[in-house]
Amino acid sequence: MPSPSAVVEQGRIVLADAAAGQAGVADGIGVAAARMLAPAITLIARNLPRESAALHILACWAGGLTPKISLTPDTLLLEIGSCLRLFGGVGKIVSTARAGIAAQGFALALAVAPTPRGAQWLAQSGSSAICLDADSMRRQLETLPLAVLPDKAASTLARFGARTLADVRRLPSAALGRRIGAASLQVLAQAFGELADPRAEFIFPEQFSLSLPLPAAVETAAALLFAARRLTSALSGWLIVRQAGVREMTLCLQHRREETRLVLQFAELTAAGERFERVLRERLENLPLRAPVEAIRLEASRVDALAGRSRALFNDAAGEQEAIAALLERLCARLGEKQIYRLAVHDDHRPEYATQCIPLFAKAVPSEARALPRPLWLLAKPQSLAESAGRPQRRGPLRLLAGPERIEAGWWDGGEMRGEMSAEKGGEAVGDIRRDYFIALSNDACWLWIYRECREPGGWYLHGFFS
Amino acid sequence: MKAAVALAEILARPDVWCADRLASAAIPALASGFARLDAELPGGGWPRGALTEILADGTGLGECSLLLPVLGRMREEGRWSLLVAPPYSLNGTAWAARGIDLARLAVVSPSRPRDALWAAEHALASGALGALLCWTTSIDAAQVRRLQVAAAGSDTLAFLFRPLRARSESSAAALRLLLTAGAHATLAVDLLKRRGPPCTRTLHLEVPRPLQWRANHESCQIHAADAALAGPASAISRARSQRPLAFA
Repeated sequence: MPSPSAVVEQGRIVLADAAAGQAGVADGIGVAAARMLAPAITLIARNLPRESAALHILACWAGGLTPKISLTPDTLLLEIGSCLRLFGGVGKIVSTARAGIAAQGFALALAVAPTPRGAQWLAQSGSSAICLDADSMRRQLETLPLAVLPDKAASTLARFGARTLADVRRLPSAALGRRIGAASLQVLAQAFGELADPRAEFIFPEQFSLSLPLPAAVETAAALLFAARRLTSALSGWLIVRQAGVREMTLCLQHRREETRLVLQFAELTAAGERFERVLRERLENLPLRAPVEAIRLEASRVDALAGRSRALFNDAAGEQEAIAALLERLCARLGEKQIYRLAVHDDHRPEYATQCIPLFAKAVPSEARALPRPLWLLAKPQSLAESAGRPQRRGPLRLLAGPERIEAGWWDGGEMRGEMSAEKGGEAVGDIRRDYFIALSNDACWLWIYRECREPGGWYLHGFFS
Repeated sequence: MKAAVALAEILARPDVWCADRLASAAIPALASGFARLDAELPGGGWPRGALTEILADGTGLGECSLLLPVLGRMREEGRWSLLVAPPYSLNGTAWAARGIDLARLAVVSPSRPRDALWAAEHALASGALGALLCWTTSIDAAQVRRLQVAAAGSDTLAFLFRPLRARSESSAAALRLLLTAGAHATLAVDLLKRRGPPCTRTLHLEVPRPLQWRANHESCQIHAADAALAGPASAISRARSQRPLAFA
């Protein structure tokens, strides 16, 4: 955002940044006056839908602080009285909120008061007061200017010569009610805690799918991280309120015509914002962008209730578990699922089908190990061996120490096991084999697993190493 | 003025190492499963939190069998092992049969060599792994040093496989082993470098082989299986009539 800048609504400045403020641009002055005071000023039209979308994202994020949240058109109200003990005092919760908001790149006006309207007015007037009891709140509120009251009431009162709320409070309430109307009087009483002030609670969405339009098209993926942080912290708050964790989420990068979908996977259910960010960073750092990104959307695709966990006194096993999960997530995010995998044993007599590569975070079915001599390494494609005087050669003739072990059949498999197209080869299925396996020792003392092809055209092949 | 410190006191300090003794490891080493090797390794086993370099040419010498006992220990400890850039596809059945916990074994096979080193270094630095095995054909001294530094902060067993030609290069690894084939199907191990006095003798280790080694394997060039090659049809019938071979 260029500086100085200011937000304009109906020809008047509604909010000016620090640089503009220094040049003398105050809230409420006209556009022409602002241009004269600060010729380089950037004026931005107020965008109410975007403001409320930002507040909506922040409301989700605030789920990490308290489950009771309500939204007004321009304020986010958090009920923190019931969470003070959890966080260890109002100072802690306020600094957590400040840090969280700053990390998302928002400027914050924050106030704490026993009544919602009191806190709202204090925050709007920028006093950043923290009042824990009714007395200190009353003292703070009485210093506030009339601008916090509804416009009509404020102008009426200003004509009386009132300057602050203290002046208003000194007037007899019956007469005051006649002048400014019962509604305004009620608002005033609610702020000072003399009348109940029930608020509609913010309902957290059932499915998490938030989009964030970017102020300008972004061309490098790394620059998206900052914007995405708003969404990941919102997701984290949303998950905490639902006491749930996410195993997989999708970040959609919306271009002008198409969109790129990034699926992020986690080793276990998690609601930790920093973990989301770490995995996201790995993915975004190496991502080539097809087109500039205009908006991003975050969807939580696999959400499950987080099982309550009791912390161990000596946090050994749990800490290690977390460290390994973080490591695998990071490797997986950077390298992709194709390049990091685990192994699963599949019940098949054919060696190349007996081992399957499964995704890192997939559930493996344990299988019993067989006692057959099998090599640790297999060649992805058996390597043809020369033959001389009827003996296979590999850097000299091979000595056959054991064998043959016949492995054959697989006529039912037309290549489905390997996901190949069912390309029939000479009327036989791709997976159909007939081989005689031998354990062989080469002249340079390498232990090999070789086979002789029993079907035409025959020949010797190297298939593995007893390493 | 401070009193002179007795030499014996200095020598007793844990961070002072006399060059004629084997170093004792700060983190207890893990027994390799080969008594002859353990006797020569500082700390009596594979070092944790240090890089071990294994130089060997050719696959099939028994270089993995050398490490399988210690990798099997990871199952008891409940820790993960990571294989980075293995030279061939892993045959899961064989690894499982040799006591490796496949549920806690991850394989990284990156398409670019620098990703392999990144993954290895990052995995070591995280300290979360029980063991890391990394294969590489081209790595320079600075990169080896980075791996050693990353390993030093953890209690991970770190093994780096390199070709024999790296023998003459200097290396920051704490332990360097050279593997060749020994007589009678043994694995000959030379300790090129260790934290201690140089080891001049070659160790012959009996690593597990797919079958029991018999003396006649050495002498008779033509084994029964070889003889069977005379005729393809008879080969199968003869092999079937034979008693199944005793596999170790």
